[in-house]
Amino acid sequence: MSLIESKNKFDRFNFLLGAFYFVFVIFLIKVVNMQIIKHKYYLELAERNRTQVINQSAPRGKIISSDNVVLASNKPSYSLIYFPERSYSSKEIDKISFYLARYTNSDIKKIKKIIERAISSQKPLKVAGNLGVNSIIRISELKNLFPGFQQISEAVRYYPYGAWISHLIGYMGKIDSTQWSNYYSFGYSMDSLVGKTGIEKMYEKYLKGRDGGLYMEVDNRGRLIRIVDTQEGEAGNDIILTLNFKMQEAAEKALSELPYKKGAAIALDPYSGKILAYAVKPGFDLNSFVDYSEDKKESSPDIKEFNIGVQGTYPPASTFKIITSIAILESGKPHYDEKFFCPGFFDAGNRVFKCWEKKGHKYMDLKNGLANSCDVYFYNAALKVGPLEIEKTAEQFGFGEKTESPFPGENSGHVFGPKKRAMKKSYWFIGDTLNLAIGQGETLVTPMQMAVFISAIASRGLIFKPYYVDKIVKKNGDVILENFPKIKKKVKLKEETWEKLYEALGEVVSSGTGQAMKISGLEIFGKTGTAQNPHGKDHAWFVCFAKKPKEDPKVAVAVLVEHGEHGSTSALSVAKSIVKAAYPTNISDGKEENIQAVVTE
Amino acid sequence: MMQSGTIKKKVFDWYLFYFVIALVIIGSIAIISSTYMLPAQSRIIRTHFIALFIGIAFMSFFGILNYQIFNDQWKYIYALSIIVLAGLFIFGSVEKGARSWYRLTFFSIQPSEFARIGLILTMSSFLERNLNRISEFFYLFLGLLITFPFMFLMLKQPDFSGILITIPVIFSMFYVAGASSFHVSIFLSYVFLSSLFPLLWTAIVLNPSLSDNFFISIFFELADLGWNTLIFIILIAFLSFATWKVLNYFKRISGFYFAGFAVVLIAGFLTGVFIKHQIKSYQYKRVQVFLDPAKDPKGAGYNLLQARIAIGSGGFTGKGIFSGTQSRLGFVPERHTDFILSVVGEELGFVGIFLVMGLYAIIMYRIKTISDLARDNYGYFICVGFFSLFFSYFLINFGMILGFLPVAGVPLPLLSYGGSNMVSIFIIIGLLQSVYSRRYSIT
Repeated sequence: MSLIESKNKFDRFNFLLGAFYFVFVIFLIKVVNMQIIKHKYYLELAERNRTQVINQSAPRGKIISSDNVVLASNKPSYSLIYFPERSYSSKEIDKISFYLARYTNSDIKKIKKIIERAISSQKPLKVAGNLGVNSIIRISELKNLFPGFQQISEAVRYYPYGAWISHLIGYMGKIDSTQWSNYYSFGYSMDSLVGKTGIEKMYEKYLKGRDGGLYMEVDNRGRLIRIVDTQEGEAGNDIILTLNFKMQEAAEKALSELPYKKGAAIALDPYSGKILAYAVKPGFDLNSFVDYSEDKKESSPDIKEFNIGVQGTYPPASTFKIITSIAILESGKPHYDEKFFCPGFFDAGNRVFKCWEKKGHKYMDLKNGLANSCDVYFYNAALKVGPLEIEKTAEQFGFGEKTESPFPGENSGHVFGPKKRAMKKSYWFIGDTLNLAIGQGETLVTPMQMAVFISAIASRGLIFKPYYVDKIVKKNGDVILENFPKIKKKVKLKEETWEKLYEALGEVVSSGTGQAMKISGLEIFGKTGTAQNPHGKDHAWFVCFAKKPKEDPKVAVAVLVEHGEHGSTSALSVAKSIVKAAYPTNISDGKEENIQAVVTE
Repeated sequence: MMQSGTIKKKVFDWYLFYFVIALVIIGSIAIISSTYMLPAQSRIIRTHFIALFIGIAFMSFFGILNYQIFNDQWKYIYALSIIVLAGLFIFGSVEKGARSWYRLTFFSIQPSEFARIGLILTMSSFLERNLNRISEFFYLFLGLLITFPFMFLMLKQPDFSGILITIPVIFSMFYVAGASSFHVSIFLSYVFLSSLFPLLWTAIVLNPSLSDNFFISIFFELADLGWNTLIFIILIAFLSFATWKVLNYFKRISGFYFAGFAVVLIAGFLTGVFIKHQIKSYQYKRVQVFLDPAKDPKGAGYNLLQARIAIGSGGFTGKGIFSGTQSRLGFVPERHTDFILSVVGEELGFVGIFLVMGLYAIIMYRIKTISDLARDNYGYFICVGFFSLFFSYFLINFGMILGFLPVAGVPLPLLSYGGSNMVSIFIIIGLLQSVYSRRYSIT
């Protein structure tokens, strides 16, 4: 077959050519649309690609006490950026990195590596961060010799009170890989600092501001042309705590003045569960975690992260006698007027239990027994009321369970009693009853549990969940988050029980073991405690609440001093400072009045 | 047709050559500009010009050689092409997950580029010999059988974009040769089915939550060739048979169509299973971008977006040669190969892209003209084959960058960097020159 004959059959090739032209026209329309009609849109996107950013961390939100004292703020710090405008010879780089390493107190090899990387990639890089004023002054001289270095200022966390409230506020540190994966979408960079513990960690996303930056334009080879824009960062949100700075200050100072190493003082508002003061000794200097790199070598941070306020457990000792008293008053046996003779010891048949007062207290009823913390009275009374009743009362007031305070890692303590023993299929002895009654034995409580307990006593049975963040406010004053008191439980006791209990607790301060607590113009109800410690000196407890006559109690305090020996001295003095700070107008206490009286005489 | 006045009696079609060289010049500028930031720039440019030199040498050789020799020796061409592809599984080296390269001391060769020319030549011979019978189903089937080893070997590498380029060429050649449109569409639906099934399975692999559905999980298990696959196949056969029987009750219809339907469906399904087992995990990503471009904004979808930003930001006249920021700063990947158009678009603007498109259109028209002048049907089919090959490249590469088609690693002939591709395209130009110089009117 010749070609000519078959030619018309091949008109299908024309169809193919037509298809090509069709596609050609469609593509041409699309190209016109992209390059001419939507040109501006794409150009803008391309321009955005051309700018590079150097992050400037924004000021974090402040942490403020309820009486407007700033507990965590920010201060400027400087970073050094190298812009590879002109490159240096390797000899010059050696020299530069030698000086820079000395001035910024960092590794010479690291600095050299960064400069070399900046030159080879022709991109600006951060050489050193967290520089102090001294470093900057010295570097500014260097800058004249070797152009291309620029400093930018960033906001860095600053804690004016150093180690105070450190467990509550928490410290900051370099973002780690697990945090990075959670945070990276919120504008964090790899060298961002983030909260590692406490409020700094828990409220990270509120505290973190929007980072500003240095926007630079690069040319078609990636070299820096100019700094296009410097965008100011946006500060984070402020957190207002429930803490009262005066009380906190009093607690911190009083604790630090004590010669003992460890202790915790917690003050709560009995009618809301607000934490008014939370002091734990020892704290750790929060600034040491974010501080200038030049100081870093000297102060290796000594982290005392163990938060004894909620994590430490101790025998409640005599403070537990409040529970025993409630059990006695509620059950009515023995009657609160019934007296027992205290010869200084108690014979439990096979074993003799001692009273802390070797001479004995003679005849004691409930009021005097509690006021003088007479062990023998409580031994006798406990045998009458029965251990089951005491165990029930302790559980009622939330011992043995977490207070649900916002601190992480809270310990739930331990309550023992015949019921628990039975559940463990073990025996209960008379001696156990006696130990239970005076808060020794297996009972363990945290200072926070004690504080919640004494506030519940102050508020006639209201058990709140303690909290410390009152609200979070934006810079313009808008409230983002506000916490409200949450009642966990309400303990209902007879009216008579409360009256008699208050009478007895008042007696502790007016004539009993807590006489040093007296503050004129205030009615103070408290209880001392001395927890026997087989490993060393006894732990000292003091719990109390204070009110003006005919007013509701404003503050409830629990203080524990490890190895503080007697609750009536060490722990009490801390509690007294706190209560005095809570009622600043009634600052004269009994002793001072006496002295003044002597002088006027 | 012959009267096209512009064609002068020359041995060599200089116009075609000039247009090709014009494209190569634009491409070379774009390659030099786009590789500026790459460490291997000097190596890339050197390879590019060496390939260009070899290409022009091959073009001259094939231009002088009488193309009709290949028609006589079609068996050898066919065998050689298959051997070259099959040899990959013995001597080939793996690059980017595909066994597609012969690594030699100084350079690498991608044999499928050359095998494709062999396939087109063989197909031309076949069509020339069976021109009168191609409208019969059997001969169309026979012709497709010829391509089968190629397809199989390319799938085995796997070289999906190579297949993507070749399939339109084969069907265009059959269509132009006069195959029945109905027959062609049967085979097209077979191809469609055999790519649809792997696509669906891939979609399930990428969205594991889908397989919570009972039917979807059953469908997914079909790919494992178990008992349910057999049941599925029997079910299809039975259903088409039953449908035929029922419809036959009302009106007499030939069972041929229903049998054909079942066969196409089953064959497409089984090919799909085979293809699915060839897909490497990294290739799922590409399919994913096709199915849901928003899902992977930093991956392949991101690359495409950056390429489009490059083109769009070029504007009417472009940012100037060597001044594009998008492609030079590394936002566009593969910018000297598959995405070369974005470099042209950014630096030369609409003017540049229009020039490139125009040159392609002229070259295409030129090939069509040569086909009209061809002295025999073999030459004519060579022109048809290469025309559709250029068309295929143009459609897929432009379509991908402009956003009509999914991401496929297909270069833009004469513009993109790539030695084997460059040489093979020049061989094609040489063959076209050979057809032109031995045109009907000269002797």
